[in-house]
Amino acid sequence: MTTLEEGDLLIRLPEDADGRKFDGPEHGLSHCMKAVDWIFELKDRTYFIELKDLDAHDARSHKDADRFVKDLSEGKRDLDLIRKFRDSFLYEWAAARVEKPITYLLVIACSRLDPALLQNQRESLQRKLPTGTQKVWRRPIAEDCLVFNIKTWNETFPEFPLARTSAPDLGGRRP
Amino acid sequence: MPQNPPSVTRIKLCRFTAFEELILHPSPGINVLVGANGTGKTHLMKVAYAACDATKDNVHFADKLTRVFMPAGGGTGRLVKRQRGTTSARVEVQLGPSSIAVSFSNHAKSPKSASVRKRRWDAVQLKSVYVPVKEMLANAPGFRSLYAERSIHFEEIYCDVLDRAYLPSPLGAPDARRRKMLQKLGTALEGKVGVEDEEFYLESRRGKLEFSLLAEGLRKLGLLWKLIQNGTLLQGSVLFWDEPEANLSPRLFTPVIEILLELQRIGVQIFLATHDYLILKQLDLQATSQDKIQYHVLHRQEESEDLVCNTVGSYLEIQPNVIDEAFGQIYSLEIQRSLGDDG
Repeated sequence: MTTLEEGDLLIRLPEDADGRKFDGPEHGLSHCMKAVDWIFELKDRTYFIELKDLDAHDARSHKDADRFVKDLSEGKRDLDLIRKFRDSFLYEWAAARVEKPITYLLVIACSRLDPALLQNQRESLQRKLPTGTQKVWRRPIAEDCLVFNIKTWNETFPEFPLARTSAPDLGGRRP
Repeated sequence: MPQNPPSVTRIKLCRFTAFEELILHPSPGINVLVGANGTGKTHLMKVAYAACDATKDNVHFADKLTRVFMPAGGGTGRLVKRQRGTTSARVEVQLGPSSIAVSFSNHAKSPKSASVRKRRWDAVQLKSVYVPVKEMLANAPGFRSLYAERSIHFEEIYCDVLDRAYLPSPLGAPDARRRKMLQKLGTALEGKVGVEDEEFYLESRRGKLEFSLLAEGLRKLGLLWKLIQNGTLLQGSVLFWDEPEANLSPRLFTPVIEILLELQRIGVQIFLATHDYLILKQLDLQATSQDKIQYHVLHRQEESEDLVCNTVGSYLEIQPNVIDEAFGQIYSLEIQRSLGDDG
């Protein structure tokens, strides 16, 4: 079983799943290109996955989380999130790995974000993401985007369970 | 030490309308009643309103209750929860140390057969107003005389709200906080409310516009403006507002919630019944830790189907949250549509 980690968040992938950490030292172009955290290759589609962990415990992180949620609701984070998608797409295109439709999945680990707010955020991103096709395009760039919190991610993708490394069910230890 | 303004502190219903037994301990601040249709939110507010109005010398509690609920033929007994055989209902409302209770059987043909017990109930004369879902100010001219002289099928809350709206301004200028609230509402309304020959008008720089030509949502704001301006909503008064979201553009929720929070801060007790996510979220986001807000979640128990109420202090604690569930369904459908069988 493969596991991927990002801060306190950890995902377990089944044996036959093809998932990799994308935003790390191996990327090599972080000085000029933004990157999503993980890329999963499925049989008929690719997922670009970006994680934002806001449910931190110390007071300073709490303030950061409040600011992030406020910025998010005002659309101030959208361009940064879209740039992560676009730069990752370009990187993968140059690596000749763009062969399947790509869906952008944003996970915001924040229990305060209820389905109404997640839905609102999704629509805001969707409007700014180059989804659909233009007449002159031979293939699409982004198929769609969806926004999750940890709970709705696990309900939607039970085969890729997402948890906290500090969560009690992991014994509070990194595996 | 300043005395707390009077407020409804306890409501107990036994075998009344849809309730088998329910006890509610409202906050002296804002009380938000949430729950699916048919869970008794409006009934609870009407009971408390009838009791508040019965603090007036000339208002009999059983009479008021009957006129506010308007059971068929004025049969007070029809307010008893339906069940076979002879049974009776009891309603108790407390304002701190004062209390009032009424009981009547399901055979009561009129309020006269009800028995009312009071404890220090006349010690407080409480100002209260009930804002119903249906807007009345546009239909105001002639309505009160029609209501007084003919038997028309309107609950008394419709006549009462007009009585309150027609009240003239109190002597003296409003204090700074009231002026600020009126200013905020005036900005949203782009004018102020005037009355001439029983007709309500919005007076703005564009001229005078009668309420029948004004958007229904703005008429609701106009009513709130009038109730603040004429001193109906002052410290120690109680506001009941059924579905404040009705006909109101969501953009206006922000000033409405700001005003409700401010009214609560000056000592107005508020009861709201709502089905609206934005109203709840605005309240949750605009409230400070000093604000006194309670959410009363009405729902039916699974096995007995009795109506019960959980009282919680924040939006996230609302359980069951039918509004959140509805958004959850839409969200799931969106995911399903996007991911198909893979999600």
